[in-house]
Amino acid sequence: MVSQAIMAQTKHTLSGYVRDKASGETLIGANVFNVSNPGQGTTTNTYGFYSLTLDAGIYNIGVSYLGFENQIIEVNLENNLSKNIEMSEGVIMEEVVISAEKEERRKNVEGTQMGTVELPVENIKKLPAIFGEVDILKAIQLLPGVLSSGEGNAGFYVRGGGPDQNLVLLDEAVVYNSGHMLGFFSVFNADALKNTTLIKGGMPANFGGRLSSVLDIQMKEGNDKNYMVEGGIGVISSRLTVQGPVVKNKSSFIISGRRTYILDLIQPALKGGNFEGTNYYFYDLNTKWNYTFSDKNRLYFSGYFGNDVLKFRQPNRDFKFDLPYGNKTGTLRWNHLFHERMFMNVSLIYNDYKFQFSGGQDDFVFKLFSGVRDWNFKIDFENYPNTNHTIKYGVNYIYHKLTPNTASATTGDTQFNTTFLPKYANEAAVYILDDMKLGQKWALNTGLRISAFQQVGPYTSKLDGKEFGDFEPVKTYTGFEPRFSINYKATNDFSIKSGVAWTNQYLHLVSNSSSTLPADVWVPSTEIVKPQTGVQYALGFFKNFSNDTYETSIEVYYKDLKNQIDYADDYVNDINQEVEDAFVFGKGRAYGAEFFLKKAKGKFNGWIGYTLSRSERSFDKIEGGRWYPAVYDRLHDLSVVVNYKPFKKWDFGAVFIYGSGKLFTPVRGFFFVEQNINLFYGPRNSSRLDAYHRLDLSATYTPRPDSKRKYQGSWTFSVYNTYNRKNPFFVNFDTNTDFQTGTTTIEGTKITIFPLIPSITYNFKWNQK
Amino acid sequence: MESKMIKFTSSCTWLILLFASLVTFSSCEEEYIPDTNAAEQEIVVEGYIEAGEGSLPPYVIITRSIPFISEVNSGEFADLFVRNADVNVSYGNQTVKLTEICLADVPENLKEQVYRFLGLNPDSAAVDICIYADILGQIKREFGQKYDLKIAKGDTVLTASTTIPQFIGLYDFEWQDTPGKPSDTLAELNCKISDPAGENFYRYLTATGKNPRLIPPFTSVTDDAFFDGKDSLLFPLQKAERRGQKFDPETFGYFQREDSVFVKWCTIDKVHFGFWKTRDFAANSGGPFSSYTRIKTNIQGGLGIWGGYAVHTYRLYCPPK
Repeated sequence: MVSQAIMAQTKHTLSGYVRDKASGETLIGANVFNVSNPGQGTTTNTYGFYSLTLDAGIYNIGVSYLGFENQIIEVNLENNLSKNIEMSEGVIMEEVVISAEKEERRKNVEGTQMGTVELPVENIKKLPAIFGEVDILKAIQLLPGVLSSGEGNAGFYVRGGGPDQNLVLLDEAVVYNSGHMLGFFSVFNADALKNTTLIKGGMPANFGGRLSSVLDIQMKEGNDKNYMVEGGIGVISSRLTVQGPVVKNKSSFIISGRRTYILDLIQPALKGGNFEGTNYYFYDLNTKWNYTFSDKNRLYFSGYFGNDVLKFRQPNRDFKFDLPYGNKTGTLRWNHLFHERMFMNVSLIYNDYKFQFSGGQDDFVFKLFSGVRDWNFKIDFENYPNTNHTIKYGVNYIYHKLTPNTASATTGDTQFNTTFLPKYANEAAVYILDDMKLGQKWALNTGLRISAFQQVGPYTSKLDGKEFGDFEPVKTYTGFEPRFSINYKATNDFSIKSGVAWTNQYLHLVSNSSSTLPADVWVPSTEIVKPQTGVQYALGFFKNFSNDTYETSIEVYYKDLKNQIDYADDYVNDINQEVEDAFVFGKGRAYGAEFFLKKAKGKFNGWIGYTLSRSERSFDKIEGGRWYPAVYDRLHDLSVVVNYKPFKKWDFGAVFIYGSGKLFTPVRGFFFVEQNINLFYGPRNSSRLDAYHRLDLSATYTPRPDSKRKYQGSWTFSVYNTYNRKNPFFVNFDTNTDFQTGTTTIEGTKITIFPLIPSITYNFKWNQK
Repeated sequence: MESKMIKFTSSCTWLILLFASLVTFSSCEEEYIPDTNAAEQEIVVEGYIEAGEGSLPPYVIITRSIPFISEVNSGEFADLFVRNADVNVSYGNQTVKLTEICLADVPENLKEQVYRFLGLNPDSAAVDICIYADILGQIKREFGQKYDLKIAKGDTVLTASTTIPQFIGLYDFEWQDTPGKPSDTLAELNCKISDPAGENFYRYLTATGKNPRLIPPFTSVTDDAFFDGKDSLLFPLQKAERRGQKFDPETFGYFQREDSVFVKWCTIDKVHFGFWKTRDFAANSGGPFSSYTRIKTNIQGGLGIWGGYAVHTYRLYCPPK
């Protein structure tokens, strides 16, 4: 008896990695749980690692991951046990795959995390896409609480926050500009990516530096079992990905590239003409390499290089310019397992965003440059002492160099430069969080992040002219950022969650345009610009129905934002002025309710998301502090997403979007000065464009889905804006005066940019096995 | 240099727009009708006081703004002028009342001269323009002097102040072949300036023998942030084009050879600069990505500008090649 009791109290740890059986890719966010008590469960971390500590005994351990066949494995926990689990892709996500369905762990109900959505990239690929270009950033815009920054644009706003308030991470590296071609396409090539997690509220303490959201994107690691080549030929771009083992089951690589070519094709037509040599294209290159030294040590290197290149040539006038811009990121990571319950990751990250313009005529040369360059060092620990606690803690240090728009011009011997110098800063943070279970019903995630930001020299104060040497502190800000969320699980499939999170943001991007442009400049907090701060309160109800076939949730939130930044309404974009000198500072608030209904399983699956929300700002220097709706305000936003796979060879997708029209500042009237017409405006953002709605459809045809051949191809047909809705993109005002007749006309026109756009893409895959 | 730079930065914007239009390969348009037409009218002041060679006498035009409606005809134009206002200019301890004159009242044979005198466009003959001017030449106009404007009409009072700054002139005008493939018919105008240390603000307008009305280029003002305190700075002056004309990059900014050229060069104060800077920017920007720009004003209680100019009008001749 006594020995049995002691046996029962002895705890052992089951740990290991969950992988895709076919490719060896680790699976992020897979559920691992005790089938007879799903409350005793965990999910795999960013590296596919799990650790589950249970009383000694024999267990049926369930493993589930969306799109894969569930597994139950029997383990006898007499000692600590290391067990790597390989999962096979589910042929079709049938309603019943696991026999003990009702015993499955329900991540949406169970977890403490609120406002978090994971989107496996394979699911995103099934959605219809404009020009057939699969785009992660456009897919997340279909979730409640996430708005598109404009027609066809990859820029997004989360819960009433600005585009700079989203932390966009690619293998932990910050991507400062996530758009190609003025934001119409995102820089993320879906073929190279594995997983996307969006956290739109109640950010856990291991993330910081932005107020609104975290978009955490992981690249694939590469198939470590056999070589694979896949790619696609589309209307405007083509893609190619090669992956395979370096050392089988130990080390793998992936290289993935994408490039547009539509203007390359017209080059012969330009030859000999006025614009010979004019071209535009963008490209992306993703690569990742990893090496598994042992079960305890693994090393990863990942890199991203992307550029937009615009070349303008007018040879007969000797006039030309180049406008390249793009991101480079590099991440070196070392995973180390101290023991079954203690995981560590060390990352060294470099990223560089550059925007350049250089042009000239004759001996006149003009150059413009801006950019952000970071060196980032992180150590993160994850500790799983028992099933009731997951403790994470870590430190992070970033050295920033931000170059504002610097211009230079030369004619012959004369040279001019703007005198703006780059700004340098240290950013550091420490955090600790505990995701804990308090009995069967309650769970609590409590965390604290302490952040600091220090502008350092070389710098000359604009306030008192004081000079600062290299690394000499100019101004230091600190942030105390507690984060709490609590989950009350009323029944097995119903829970109520609530959370509050304080966040600080030290880097800012303010756009004077209706959308973000590559020329918009990131600026640090300085002696003039204070950090943005925010606090978000959220409450949510999560309920699953019909054996988890349906997941539903209602979340409400309120956000209070301080030190918000904008331009005054008489702002003039001027290369002679540093943008921070043109800023005005104010406050903001945003609130809303999000409704989500998802059918997660079956041949027919998808979701409906609806958001009712408001986002407002008040600046003393804009209309005397009047609260006005932010450009991110959209009262109604509805997305319906459907995937249907009636036959093996066909996959159908549909997306319907309805949203309140975009806000703009209306023209109130006009007046004459020097006999020219000038417009004057009503209150900021006091008019709305017509409501936006659109239906996109797609069909994917795979001629030989069950083929055992090495080569497989599929065709994707898609239609953007199926019923050719004329969604206004902006209102343009045109004025005309005829002094002969003494008449003046003023005309407003609503401009629509994307009509019905059909496209076709051929995708192929070659697998060595 | 500054204007070349402006040409470049504006061509950058222009290209972004071109680039956008490539994306928007098949855009379409539909008329926009605003929700409310009944916007209140504002009083708009356009008044200048100049000193220097070729300067005009002080005058003020007072109009009402026009609500957003699709068309205004000449009859409605005439109604825009605010008549019978009390307009006074004060400086030092002097106050001078301006006299209202309407062009319709001017005898036909004098009209042409009056138009010239006021620098107005005779094309606007269809509209009866009314102005308040110092017709007796009572106001002493001096560099460095501050001038206050006060307008009273019924219960409405508008006020504004401006300064005529010290004049900073141009010299060493020279004609150059156009860049790239030189043209026999066009030339680029260059000149020099020696900018004194400290903030200075400039504006210019050009006219030609073929087109004698002085008009400002699209970007008509500059500060000296790029060349503060520089001696003998060489820079090009662009020929101004009338707004609404088709933009032709082949000829833009160049003068015709064998034509006379007038350059009205002005130094202005910071507030006056702010008005033109925002006005030019508002007039030049537009399109899908631009936001609105509110034009700055120094008129308390209204819109527009009361601006001082230190001027010199240079008469030049563009020789044949």
